[in-house]
Amino acid sequence: MKYVLAKSIGEALGALADAQGKGRVISGGTDLTIDMEEGKISADVLIDVTQIPEMKEIRIEGDELVIGASATLTEITHNPLVRRYFLSLTKGTGCIGSLQIRNSATLTGNVVSAQPAADGGMAVAPLNPAYVISREGAEDKKLNTQEMYAGFGRTAIDPHNEMVKEIRIPLPKENEASSYVRLELRKSLSLPMLNVAAMAGATGGEVDWVRITMGPVGVGPVRARHAEEWLAGKKLNWKNMAEAGNMALLDAKPRSNPLRGSREYREATLPILVRRALEDIATQLGVKYEKEG
Amino acid sequence: MREKISFTLNGVFMETDVDPDVRLADFLRDELHLIGTKIGCKRGECGACTVIFNGKAVTSCLVPVMRADGAVIETIEGLAEGDKLHPIQEEFINHGAVQCGFCTPGMIMSAKALLDENPNPTPTEVCEALGGNICRCTGYKKIQEAVLAAAERMRKGW
Repeated sequence: MKYVLAKSIGEALGALADAQGKGRVISGGTDLTIDMEEGKISADVLIDVTQIPEMKEIRIEGDELVIGASATLTEITHNPLVRRYFLSLTKGTGCIGSLQIRNSATLTGNVVSAQPAADGGMAVAPLNPAYVISREGAEDKKLNTQEMYAGFGRTAIDPHNEMVKEIRIPLPKENEASSYVRLELRKSLSLPMLNVAAMAGATGGEVDWVRITMGPVGVGPVRARHAEEWLAGKKLNWKNMAEAGNMALLDAKPRSNPLRGSREYREATLPILVRRALEDIATQLGVKYEKEG
Repeated sequence: MREKISFTLNGVFMETDVDPDVRLADFLRDELHLIGTKIGCKRGECGACTVIFNGKAVTSCLVPVMRADGAVIETIEGLAEGDKLHPIQEEFINHGAVQCGFCTPGMIMSAKALLDENPNPTPTEVCEALGGNICRCTGYKKIQEAVLAAAERMRKGW
């Protein structure tokens, strides 16, 4: 196998094109090395993008937060810009795997691996991110969350010819907030039994719009469309948040997992997680509500 | 085809040629014979292979050896100075934080990475830093106590 330590995006894309379908981009490598060891993925050329300075950057550009595809989860979790605008994302990236994993792994990798309960992929999903995809000799293209996920463990990226260059997230307005919650057996080295992320805009305690994503209840982060539509225009109070939690089940198809909970258990707890995610948003936006029941 | 790389290992600059297919953990053990770095799961889930890579604790079983080019790497072998053990090593012994010992090098390297960045960690911060290191025999309480004791000693100078 040939291993290319690329120093620029141009060099990386050139090496990927030169490999003629037998190359793969490696960043954190915490999933890819295991998949290669197990024979699930093979490559004649690995193109390492961890030493490309602009792919490590986390910056504000216009009204967007830009996270380079090679920024590690630790770098994202501790970045002051991410903390300032999207504390929910720092919660998501900060609970993946273990510290050793987070010191190598990337948010982009967490998305590209496309596991339905991935903490990072889930936390970023409702933030309306654009994934910027680069390919040799072509204009960059942008995929949104829905376009990104193509099946269980699959994304729409052609890994032999394309790579994610960066993630661009619109900055929140003053009346917008996001949240991330997970249900877990243990904090380190475990995928969550369930996770929910949300983002909403509210005026005078009334929901203007809301995006709710949840997993593992389908392919990638699944939108709770029924709950979102129902909650728009309503007060962000306890009863409505709880009802939105119940309605989330209309879009969720959880399966039983011997380690991470039965379908029945997940169906019983998902509404509570959705309600908690909405409560967190209400708290951040200063919306006061009385707990009931 | 073997490739030439250079890196700093335990304070010593080295140039060598490597097989690009190999992971850092295997390279350290099989080619440099630094067998203090253990290999448990080879999936990044047990922490036995933890080394400090450019100042950060990483599971070396998941690091392609080519990425070591230009890196500064610390392994358990670099901690003691001659016969004098590092305070973290001494406190692991003093607190009975070692039983079979297989996880110990990884635990100690995670602890060192923590104390290099944060000389005065809380018990919770120790748990977070060592959360990726699995021990099947000692239990974690003595390990946590050993790290906190080492931190206290190191703050006083050693």
